[in-house]
Amino acid sequence: MRTSSIVKGELLNYRFLMLVLLVLACVLLSFYFAYYRGETGVYTHVFYIPLILAGVWYKKKAVYLAILLGVIHVFTALIFIHPIPAELTVETFERTSMFVAVAYIIGFVSDKRAKVEEEITKERDKFQKILSTISETIFIVDRDLRVLELSKPELKAGIEGEEGIPGIYRRIPMSKYKKREEIIGEKCYKCFWGKEKVCDDCPIHSIFETGAGARMVRSFVLADGSVRCVEVEYVPIFDEGGNVVRVIGDMRDITEEKRMEYKLKRAEEQLRETKDYLDNIIESSADAIAVVDMDGIVRDWNKSAEEIMGYSAEEVIGTSNRKFFAKPEEADRIMEIVLREGALKNYRAIVLRKDGKAVHISMSAALLKDRNGVPIGTVRVSRDITKEVELEEKIKEERDNLNLILNSMQDGVYIVSEDYKVEFMNKILIDEFGNQVGNICYKAFHNREDPCPLCKNKRVMKGETVRWEWHSRRMNRTYDLIETPLRNINGSISKLTIFRDITERKMMEDELRETCKKLEELDKMKNAFLNVAYHEMRSPLAPIVGYASLLERCELPEKGRKYIYNIEKCGRQLEKMINRMLELARIDGKKIELTLSEFGIREAVNEVVKSLETEARAKKQEIHTIIPEITIQADKQKVIAIFSNLVSNAIKYTPEGGRIDIMAEEEGANIRVCVADTGVGIPEEHLPKIFERFYMVDTSLTRKSGGLGLGLSIVKEYVKLHGGRVWATSEVGKGSKFFFIIPKSQKEV
Amino acid sequence: MADKKRVLIVEDAAYMREMLEEMLLQEGDKYEVVGFATNGEEAVAKYKELKPDIVTMDLVMEVMDGIQAIKEIKMYDPAARILAITALGTPEYRDKALEAGADEYLWKPFTIKNLLDVLERLLREE
Repeated sequence: MRTSSIVKGELLNYRFLMLVLLVLACVLLSFYFAYYRGETGVYTHVFYIPLILAGVWYKKKAVYLAILLGVIHVFTALIFIHPIPAELTVETFERTSMFVAVAYIIGFVSDKRAKVEEEITKERDKFQKILSTISETIFIVDRDLRVLELSKPELKAGIEGEEGIPGIYRRIPMSKYKKREEIIGEKCYKCFWGKEKVCDDCPIHSIFETGAGARMVRSFVLADGSVRCVEVEYVPIFDEGGNVVRVIGDMRDITEEKRMEYKLKRAEEQLRETKDYLDNIIESSADAIAVVDMDGIVRDWNKSAEEIMGYSAEEVIGTSNRKFFAKPEEADRIMEIVLREGALKNYRAIVLRKDGKAVHISMSAALLKDRNGVPIGTVRVSRDITKEVELEEKIKEERDNLNLILNSMQDGVYIVSEDYKVEFMNKILIDEFGNQVGNICYKAFHNREDPCPLCKNKRVMKGETVRWEWHSRRMNRTYDLIETPLRNINGSISKLTIFRDITERKMMEDELRETCKKLEELDKMKNAFLNVAYHEMRSPLAPIVGYASLLERCELPEKGRKYIYNIEKCGRQLEKMINRMLELARIDGKKIELTLSEFGIREAVNEVVKSLETEARAKKQEIHTIIPEITIQADKQKVIAIFSNLVSNAIKYTPEGGRIDIMAEEEGANIRVCVADTGVGIPEEHLPKIFERFYMVDTSLTRKSGGLGLGLSIVKEYVKLHGGRVWATSEVGKGSKFFFIIPKSQKEV
Repeated sequence: MADKKRVLIVEDAAYMREMLEEMLLQEGDKYEVVGFATNGEEAVAKYKELKPDIVTMDLVMEVMDGIQAIKEIKMYDPAARILAITALGTPEYRDKALEAGADEYLWKPFTIKNLLDVLERLLREE
């Protein structure tokens, strides 16, 4: 033991000092007795005091002290006692020997004891170590619940609290780690569970009374927040009399076990939920679900199956499935396919309800196998598609109708996909090109390797509708094509092309155009001819009129003067007629523009009346005018021409002594004019045509009145030019009324 | 009366030339016919030669028509006085003639009064 390590130089050790002091005291005592009393025997017993102490403290090393004291004793006797009696010498050596012997014995005994003690301590430590390494914590409590022993150097303890994680742990927030020394002697409820009084469920008291062990589970939360769960097993310790004296607690951490237990429980719950869920799905599925075993016997039958088929599960389970099919052999076929392919998809069949009604179903089925992969049956999901089938049939019918229409069309109709695949051709095309559906259009129709240069596919794919004309040089025919995007159900776009052979129409159009051109040319020629003709007709008139006017100035008999007058008059008449024809030619030839000016309508009418007065007077006719003072904006020359034509017509077709009325009045923004006569009238059937060019009511050459039938057509043209209209009413034998309306101002038009 | 007005008559038809001269002479000593031309080319040459006060110009003639002749005469002498006379009755021709430089325009057929009136007007504008 360390306390005896004098060799290590612990000279100031108090044991050692005490020994030195005692030795010194013994020496002094020895000197005193020897020098003053001459005695050597009595005091020597004092020497045993340091010797015994040294023996206890320093074990066998006490022998050295015994020798030292012996030597001192001997020398003291030799120095101070003279002469030395013989017995003294013997006695002296004898005592010295005694010293050594006592020192040795005491040293030996002390040494042995120390060794035994060390051994015990070692064993104890070992035991402690073993105890502390085992995961379980073992403790001992007495009747007063005081902890007497603890196998661990420290303990994770806590305070019991409220309910923590539901169902499993109680929350015990931990106060701190406790050292073994703090725990021993403490009440168990305080140090282990942090409580101030005995736990409600404490089993220890009953153990002391009954002697039966107990078990308890506790959970708590540690300072780091982790939840632990412990199980404590209490075992009683009995004395010889059979009474319980102590209770041993064996505390085990079962957190992981609990956790696993909990997980297992959750998994089980989930599994149960999933199963319930699946059961629900199967039951509530709108599709009929049936399980049929390898012998064709129904093993399961859900609610929808009951509804669709009309058979309840009780009626059906355990019976063959063949009876459901309109064709019983279909049951075998389904089984065969499922066995061969492992599954069946959208298989269409007709089944018979319990009430005999046929139902169209679409069935999907899968093979059921046991753990070893041996087929044990099929699960079949069927849907009532009766409505869909009916709809399909209807659609098919409609499609057939549509096809009928398309096929009886004389126009070519075809559909091409985005990648130029022919998707549809109508009959007329198939008859001409053969069925090319599925082929590439430019290859099939045009024998090309690439899309045609004029192809409109890309434009149509962008959503454009293209109408164009295509002339096939190869066939020498012209087609009118309408190409339009066709949106398919799947969202893709195809090109629908309708094309019509318009070669004949084209030819007719060309002919027509040609004819039009010819006509235009003819018209031009006509106009040119007319111009020349008028020039040529007027040219000879010039000398007739001119010379007549010259003749008038000559000295002539009365008769001659009259002749000349007639010549001049006829010349002028001829000129007027030619002028009218010229006027019409001009109207024909090109658009005439109005030369607008403002003038009084009365002034214009008076001018006309004045110029025609002579003619009227010659027929003893009266011309009456009721014209308000209205200023209009129009082409004066043309307005005068309108009046002039109407009035001269009236004069022409009214017998002698007749009456002509000219009336005008405002009518809103227009002016309305009427020229009425008391003439022969116009038969009703002629009325709509009288304004047509060259139209004459009486075409006989013997007719009374002259004229070419151009006057009214000029009237109509001029009125139209002013934005007005002209019409006539008439009663045969009584007279005619000519009306026209023109706007007062051209600006508003 | 002051100087007689010297007139050049351009007309392809002989009887018309004759008639025009007759008509002008009716006014006594007012007009003097200094020459005749039967086409445009001749008219231009005659104009340059005679320097008349007035030209009566038919429009439809061979070789060179009246319109062209008016243009050339006016180019040669902007002060030339030209009366266009024609049977082409449409306003376009009248406009064409006036555009080319004719000062007055007379439609065939005309009486002596018509001719003398228009010549009066032409001279008044002087």
